[in-house]
Amino acid sequence: MNQEFTMVEINYWAIAPLLVVVAGALIGVLVEAFVARASRHNVQLGVGLVTYLAALVVLLAKSRTEHGLTMGGSVVIDGPSVFLMAVILCFALLSLLVMAERFGGPAADAFTPMGAATPGSDLERSAESAGWGTTEAVPLMMISVVGMMLFVSSGDLLTMFVALEVLSLPLYVLTGLARRRRLLSQEAALKYFLLGSFSSAFFLFGAALLYGYAGSVDIARIALAIGAASPVLDGLLLPGVALVLIGLLFKVGAVPFHAWTPDAYQGAPTPVTGFMAAATKIAAFGAILRLAYVGLSGNRWDWEPALIAIAALTMVIGAVMTVTQTDVKRLLAYSSIAHAGFILVAVMSFDVTGVSGAMFYLVCYGFTTIAAFALVTLVRHEGSEATDLSQWAGLGRRSPVVAGAFAICLLAFAGIPLTSGFTAKFAAFAPAISHGGAAGAWLVVIGVLASAVTAYVYFRIIVTMFFEEGAGDVVAITPSTLTTIAIAIGLVLTILLGVLPGPVLEAATQSAQFLR
Amino acid sequence: MLALLLVHATAYVCAPLLVRYLGRHAFWLLALPSAGTAVWALANAPGDEPLTRSISWIPSIQLDITLHMDQLSWIMTLIISIIGALVLAFCAGYFHDDEPDLERFAAHLTAFAGVMLGLVWSDNLLLLYMFWELTTVLSYLLVGHHNDREESRQAASQALVVTTFGGLAMLAGMVLLGLEAGTYSLAAILANPPEPSAVVGWAIVLILVGAVSKSALVPFHFWLPGAMAAPTPVSAYLHAAAMVKAGVYLVARFSPGFGDRPEWLVTVLVLGCATMLIGGYRALRQHDLKLLLAYGTVSQLGFLIILFGTSTQAAGLAGLTMLVSHAIFKAALFLTVGAVDHAAGTRDLRYLHGLGRRMPWLMVASTLAGASMAGVPPLLGFVGKEAAYASLLHGEQWWSPIVLTVAVTGSILTFAYTARFLYGTWGPGTETTEPTPLHANPVVLTAVPVTLGAASLLLAPISQYGEPLVQDWLHTLPPIDHAVHLGLWHGFNVVLLLSAVTLLAGYLLFHGRTAIEMWQRAVPHPAPAVVIYRAIMQGLDRISLEVTGLLFKGSLQQSLSLILLVFVAFPGTALLLALIDVSGRDTVGLRWYENPAQLGVAVLTAIAAVAAVTSLRRFRAVFLVGFTGYALALLFLLHGAPDLALTQVLVETVSLVVFVLVLRRFSGHFPDKLETKERVWRITLGVLAGAVVTGTAIIASLSRTAAPDSTNMPRSAVEFGGGYNIVNVILVDIRAWDTMGEISVVLVAATGVASLIYLQSTNMRRLRGNLAEERRSRRQTRIDPGTTDDVGWLPALNTLPPTRRSLMLEVVARLLFHPIMLWSLYLLLTGHNAPGGGFAGGLVAGLGLTIRYLAGGPAELRAAMPVMPGVLLGSGLFLSAGAGLASMLAGGDVLQSWTFDIPVPLIGDVHLVTSTFFDIGVYLVVVGLMLDILRSLGSALDYRINAASGRQIEGDYEPMGERR
Repeated sequence: MNQEFTMVEINYWAIAPLLVVVAGALIGVLVEAFVARASRHNVQLGVGLVTYLAALVVLLAKSRTEHGLTMGGSVVIDGPSVFLMAVILCFALLSLLVMAERFGGPAADAFTPMGAATPGSDLERSAESAGWGTTEAVPLMMISVVGMMLFVSSGDLLTMFVALEVLSLPLYVLTGLARRRRLLSQEAALKYFLLGSFSSAFFLFGAALLYGYAGSVDIARIALAIGAASPVLDGLLLPGVALVLIGLLFKVGAVPFHAWTPDAYQGAPTPVTGFMAAATKIAAFGAILRLAYVGLSGNRWDWEPALIAIAALTMVIGAVMTVTQTDVKRLLAYSSIAHAGFILVAVMSFDVTGVSGAMFYLVCYGFTTIAAFALVTLVRHEGSEATDLSQWAGLGRRSPVVAGAFAICLLAFAGIPLTSGFTAKFAAFAPAISHGGAAGAWLVVIGVLASAVTAYVYFRIIVTMFFEEGAGDVVAITPSTLTTIAIAIGLVLTILLGVLPGPVLEAATQSAQFLR
Repeated sequence: MLALLLVHATAYVCAPLLVRYLGRHAFWLLALPSAGTAVWALANAPGDEPLTRSISWIPSIQLDITLHMDQLSWIMTLIISIIGALVLAFCAGYFHDDEPDLERFAAHLTAFAGVMLGLVWSDNLLLLYMFWELTTVLSYLLVGHHNDREESRQAASQALVVTTFGGLAMLAGMVLLGLEAGTYSLAAILANPPEPSAVVGWAIVLILVGAVSKSALVPFHFWLPGAMAAPTPVSAYLHAAAMVKAGVYLVARFSPGFGDRPEWLVTVLVLGCATMLIGGYRALRQHDLKLLLAYGTVSQLGFLIILFGTSTQAAGLAGLTMLVSHAIFKAALFLTVGAVDHAAGTRDLRYLHGLGRRMPWLMVASTLAGASMAGVPPLLGFVGKEAAYASLLHGEQWWSPIVLTVAVTGSILTFAYTARFLYGTWGPGTETTEPTPLHANPVVLTAVPVTLGAASLLLAPISQYGEPLVQDWLHTLPPIDHAVHLGLWHGFNVVLLLSAVTLLAGYLLFHGRTAIEMWQRAVPHPAPAVVIYRAIMQGLDRISLEVTGLLFKGSLQQSLSLILLVFVAFPGTALLLALIDVSGRDTVGLRWYENPAQLGVAVLTAIAAVAAVTSLRRFRAVFLVGFTGYALALLFLLHGAPDLALTQVLVETVSLVVFVLVLRRFSGHFPDKLETKERVWRITLGVLAGAVVTGTAIIASLSRTAAPDSTNMPRSAVEFGGGYNIVNVILVDIRAWDTMGEISVVLVAATGVASLIYLQSTNMRRLRGNLAEERRSRRQTRIDPGTTDDVGWLPALNTLPPTRRSLMLEVVARLLFHPIMLWSLYLLLTGHNAPGGGFAGGLVAGLGLTIRYLAGGPAELRAAMPVMPGVLLGSGLFLSAGAGLASMLAGGDVLQSWTFDIPVPLIGDVHLVTSTFFDIGVYLVVVGLMLDILRSLGSALDYRINAASGRQIEGDYEPMGERR
């Protein structure tokens, strides 16, 4: 209280993309309040698109070069954060296009007409017949994007925690807004929320312990404190690290903190699932990378074994559990768990190439995932999504384009050459072998075996789609231009990143250096 | 070379269109790229210097397009392109125009030809892997061509799974090797192989796993017969001539650099020998001609692997010869089967009868090819086999004789099954004596096998002229003392004797074929590899199911248990270590208690906590949890913090009220009846998790190195905040910003709760209308007291049904309400120095409202506070924020406070701190919150409960969809 209060320096250009999205989100909220219900859908879509584009432009044109710490060290603009923010914005843009799909109806098809109404009630029906829609989804998503962008660029644990909450809370809500199978969706949202709150509490608890240890929540200061080890406080360090990592690994969906993933992925509106899978993963890995490489690398020998075990478990459990899934969305959820394991392998290399490998993997995985989930929304049985795999039998004959596109996504997930999946896997595994030592090599071997298992699963789906006879009433409906654009971009990039990954890989490599 | 690949790619893209317009004749055009490649390759036989083209592709992962054709690749190129051209031409006669999915098939087959070329030209390991996987995928698509058959689908995915698995293993091996060698260039690695080490050993074994799975060696051999579900041209091309040779090619490619490593020799020789024998043995009892040939291919692939794996110049030469001759004769035989199948509609040798006379050309061609396969002079196969025998006979290793024995035995089997094939096809059928009905074949179906059969014959005498063309590659292998050359006649020697033995023994085997077939049927078979494969796949399914059942049933409790378990395991262990560390030090500053009463309270709290979790009734659990809260207040009091204790008690009471309001909608008991085991587990986990948290708290407080922030507070509270109630000063002054944030959150939460329950604007409008009516009638009463029908203790009781009224409660409410409100104001105003403050005062006022609500229902609540909660919330926040702004307007900082002493007559000096206005804002917000809770949780739930029990009550809430 007696100290002189100094104003925090804020480099507004550096945080401009964040501000743009915040502004967009607030405008979106105002739109909800003041724009007539009939035109809200289009207005919100416009606000969302303009916001993301503007943020992206600002980020690439201006903030890219504004490297440094700002807001008193709370926000770090460096290579990885700029790269990941740009990717998050791209994913948000694509996801928004898919989310806005109406299939000719009055409101977004994936979302319930009225989130607060009891499922199956008269109220819900009257909202449905009035053509209402949950246009709030757009600002909610923007708020979540703000959180994600802040998450990958936060310079201290407290900012990171705030970002974690800002990104999570809207997602919990979005998860519960599916138009069909409302109860499943609400159950998923509740589970996601409860487990997510627990993990947030762990994170906060751990952050408090680390604060006790280092006397600061700054990631850089924590690193310094670890370097200048003081035995009195050692008791706080390891529990703190473990708790913080638990919180982050939960968001990634690593085993054994993966339990929410299948439920949330299945219950959430499918476009939201795609967004969650692609963007949340990016944000969480961004934070993990920063913590592991900047903040906690000093005592990594203490926690590395646990993380190695988690990476191995994640790959194995994720891959093995994929085998029995009969629901496409659940299957993709488990496969996302396995993919999280693959990315962890790259993280465990503790080399700058590991950072670029992980980031490249996230880019590849994200584009493919958004396209894959967008394709899932197209396959319909009597108007609602046909997510059961048995319903997909023979889809290749009736809707060869959709089935073919989905097959490309699956091949990419399997890591078949000439798709992004292969280059990504290579970029992720190679650093682990060359820098990760024996453990890295073992992880890669486990990873390859796990890929073989998942490949088996993906091929089985392809067989189902193309080579089996199925009931004729499951068809792929024709999406609007916007969704088509999103799917096309996802697919083109899936192939392009497999054939010509050079530019993106180069960008990832050049922006892999964390600012300490 | 790149141009040729691009030509193939173009053909691939155009293929569907061509097939659509030209039908099956499109295959003629599609054969052109392969034919062109053949011509180009013949014109460009590489000498000393391999042809190389290089384009940088993805430098960051060292993936370049480096194409490279040395003599080994050249031989493979010739095989791929010539056989490819012939097979594509054959397709033009084999298929019908109305064949389903012919466009796709044509495209894939054309693409395959190009990809296979890419595979043998790749110099970069990663590029090689890419082509490798592409051949796998294309093979899968081609095998699955007849996708209406279950068997076909299964075979396709089997082949895919096995070869993909191998491919991934190979990739891992290649990456290991590449990193160890520092380059991914094959030529560079082979020129300069990395030092032997464990890593290199693993790399070799992994690469060999890829080769072995692709070339269908034991234990992966089962996929090849399975893949015979493919159309015959595919079998001829992919599964005899080209794709399965990829593994052989890989072994040949790596043998100059790694052929002397023990892990190499063990893998290659053991698997090669086993495959050669098992394949030949199994071929002896097949009835399906294609399966017979497939097992034959398996056997021959084993032979080829042995030869290249032996890595000597002589064996290499023999291997190349066998490679060429095998490609020619196996393609010829498969295509013959295709032609026969096409004409006769069956390829079961038991039902083929009397074909020879009606298809003389085919018979001659296939006999030539078969004789070549069996190693009969004067055919190319004989030349190869002679060279092979010679190279092994003169081998200088201790294992050479063993391998030679295997090779001879395998060749005997080969002769036997070849004879069986030829006799079965062209001889009499065993199950039928009628000549099999035939229909006419296009000429090309005969022409292609005949060409290939003739090649088997014509190439044999000129084989020695081919030797110089591969000499340079052979020189990369170690020589043996005895030079081996190609040729039909080397004079009488041991090798010739071995050949004779092979023919004779083979003939005897064929002669006794019925006996052997019977014997084979009688001998119990060891579990075939395919069974093991299925078992593995089913095992995977099983494991997956079990793991799913075990770890993830979708139960929240279970997921949470897992997370808590990890929490106890990892941070808990770290904590335990830290505790041990701390207790070892002498400066332990842990005091268990300062006052025995604290101990008593703690024990009581613990008892209540245990009782709460074991309680089966909801209400009881809630009260017990409430008890722990009150006990905490007692602890605060014992610690000398009455203000904190007061706040805690009030918060606890309000929570209890809210709980009770909500619990009315629930059943009395907790729904789940748990088993004791489950209970014990949960309690254990809960206690452990609690212990970890407690332990962490202890560790944290023991690790304190800096002075606590609170030591200065008593002083600064008076100096800067002008008050002696530290808690209140913290709230309204020291941490006023936090309070501001908190009341904003309270506002949002209250609004959120209300809007979630009221849901619709109609409900809000109804509430607003009711409130306006209430205010109007109040004014009315004030003007004209006579009109009121207020007869009871409370003003709005007549709206309640008599059964719901309680006189006792009415009297208590009447008597208590006003004193409570007064007390709350007192708390608000004196809070700065004495226990109390806006927060506590607001809660007290809220409790007063609660009493009114409980006594008289929603109407009574309206009468008590005829305003919208939003008005209170909004004005509260406005006041608090305004106080902050005002201090800025007065020239201070945000939320800075000033103290005034104003003399007021009669009362004396009034000590006024500006932060009191801030506190009034807090007070209003809290009252608004309470009102919101009572209105929404109280009134709205009232409605639902009444609706559920069939009663109707006049209230503020009536959902649109549920109006009856």
